[in-house]
Amino acid sequence: MTHRLDIDFARAEGAVLRLIGLVERKGFEVCAIDMAETGEGPARLSLSVTARDAGRRIEVLSRHVEKVYGVTAVHRHEIHSPYLERAS
Amino acid sequence: MTAFSPRPDAAAAPALMTGAAAVVRALEDAGTDTIFGYPGGAIMPVYDALPGSKIRHVLVRHEQAAALAADAYARVTGKAGVCLATSGPGATNLVTGIANAFMDSVPLIAITGQTPTPLMGTDAFQEIDTFGITLPITKHSFVVRDAADIPAVFAEAFALATSGRPGPVLIDLPKDVTQASFPAHPYAGDAGKSGAPLPSQAMIEHAMALIEQSERPVLYIGGGVGIARAEAALRSFQARTSIPAVATLKGLGAIPTDHPDFLGMLGMHGTRAANHAVHDSDLLICTGARFDDRATGKLDTFAPGAKIIHIDADASEISKLRNADAPLAGDMAAILDALQPAAPAIKVWRETCRTNAVKWAMDYDAPGKGVFAPALLKAISERAGDKFIAACDVGQHQMWVAQHCRFSRPQAHLTSAGLGTMGYGIPAGIGALFAEPDSTVVTVTGDGSIMMNIHELATLIRYRVPLKIVLLDNAQLGMVRQWQELFFEENFSEIDLYDNPDFAELARSFGLEAFTIDRRDEVDGAIDRLLAAKGPILMHVRIDPKENVWPLVPPGASNADMMEA
Repeated sequence: MTHRLDIDFARAEGAVLRLIGLVERKGFEVCAIDMAETGEGPARLSLSVTARDAGRRIEVLSRHVEKVYGVTAVHRHEIHSPYLERAS
Repeated sequence: MTAFSPRPDAAAAPALMTGAAAVVRALEDAGTDTIFGYPGGAIMPVYDALPGSKIRHVLVRHEQAAALAADAYARVTGKAGVCLATSGPGATNLVTGIANAFMDSVPLIAITGQTPTPLMGTDAFQEIDTFGITLPITKHSFVVRDAADIPAVFAEAFALATSGRPGPVLIDLPKDVTQASFPAHPYAGDAGKSGAPLPSQAMIEHAMALIEQSERPVLYIGGGVGIARAEAALRSFQARTSIPAVATLKGLGAIPTDHPDFLGMLGMHGTRAANHAVHDSDLLICTGARFDDRATGKLDTFAPGAKIIHIDADASEISKLRNADAPLAGDMAAILDALQPAAPAIKVWRETCRTNAVKWAMDYDAPGKGVFAPALLKAISERAGDKFIAACDVGQHQMWVAQHCRFSRPQAHLTSAGLGTMGYGIPAGIGALFAEPDSTVVTVTGDGSIMMNIHELATLIRYRVPLKIVLLDNAQLGMVRQWQELFFEENFSEIDLYDNPDFAELARSFGLEAFTIDRRDEVDGAIDRLLAAKGPILMHVRIDPKENVWPLVPPGASNADMMEA
């Protein structure tokens, strides 16, 4: 199962690195990355992720990402794409 | 150049301040009275600005000790501990201490020098990507690129380090930034802590209903109680509900360990009474704990019949490993105070737990004439009284301290729990004594651990730190030896420390008082001498190399299946 996390965060040095590193360390593979800046406001990082093993829960990952300083919102979506889904 | 240089037309323009002076001012404004550090090239401007400050700087002999001492200082005081190092190897030497603080949720400010900004990224002398290296082990990090940002950055760093779930914050200071001047201005922003919202009244009432309906509840206490300084609220909750309690390694002391309802530490080296109570419980009230594997054993066999109330300041810990029937995230003391259930009808359960605690109490009547470490440690903690603080290293001795010492408060037990850092003991003892000079601080260490930061004996002498070091010497890496004996078919590999130095002589060469014992009949007099010492002292104790830590839950096993001697 692939999920997309849309993460709204305050732009700061190292912020993107910290978020991607956290996702990887919590046992999820980053399959796709997109980033947009919305003028003066927060940036949005969209990560498509899949769990590396069955014990990893996306809701747990979301809570860890929400906790990162500078993150203002995390939106979670299930996605189905022949390019992103891995064979089980 | 002076740190603070008024311009000739001072009446018309603000005075200039260097970045370094701003760092010192910001630390003073944050209430810092002590920092632990070691100078070097990139951080030199800050060291140039320190003399004359109200801040006391403690010069250690290795930057790792600076971070570990600051960590212990923070655990005892509740304030952020501060450590200071130069760039490159100075910063990388802080990494273990920063990771230690991260794993145990300790508020720490790690300040590092950095090469000047034009040289960053050019592989300059003593340049290292400190920010990148510490990303996974910090709550947040700053690279300051404009001296004028220093007041706000430091205010924000201190607020972050100490709020919510505390943790380490890195501030990397390029040398040109600390040397630059800017118009001095007081920080007028609001970097104050935000209060955590309370759970809903409906969830509070749901939790109270679970408590009232329970027949075999257990209070599972973790390090979060001490971190939140919520032990008064916890004790009040326990007193009005009379629920039996168990604690993790870091939760020890939240309920006094000699309380009649306290069953001991749970988990891998926990008491049989604690582990069986949890296993048989129908309600687990998890307070500031995180279902760590050392505490739970095989997770799917942990408290198999229990509903879970989980109280924690960090919402991301709740239901991370075990689903909570009543998740209560927020201010721990406020939540505990809000929980006012009718006392559950658990008289029989309480009696069962107390009977088991007596039946399975530790036996101090060991055979032979050698020193029995558990009995020694128990005696030291009891005779030292309520001023006792144990600063532990890592190994068998660490578990014996947790099992056998008496703790009256969480701050009395300083132990590297999450990271398990050998070498923590002496720097932690230093930090604790700078935090509470009137306490009786005893570092308990082993012959493996003490060598990792033995150079800090020099720091004890430099500052006349009256640390009492109890060195349990079995000439082995004892915990590794025990595991090789039990789980690797006695295939002993690289655990024999046959070539240890004469530790008492080594300590004396640094200037400490030191002595050695190896017989049981020497113990009483040795404890007298240890506790009476006015300056730093090392008590070197030779113990049986074959002594193991019992009981033990084997890896992958249920906490109900404990091995005994």
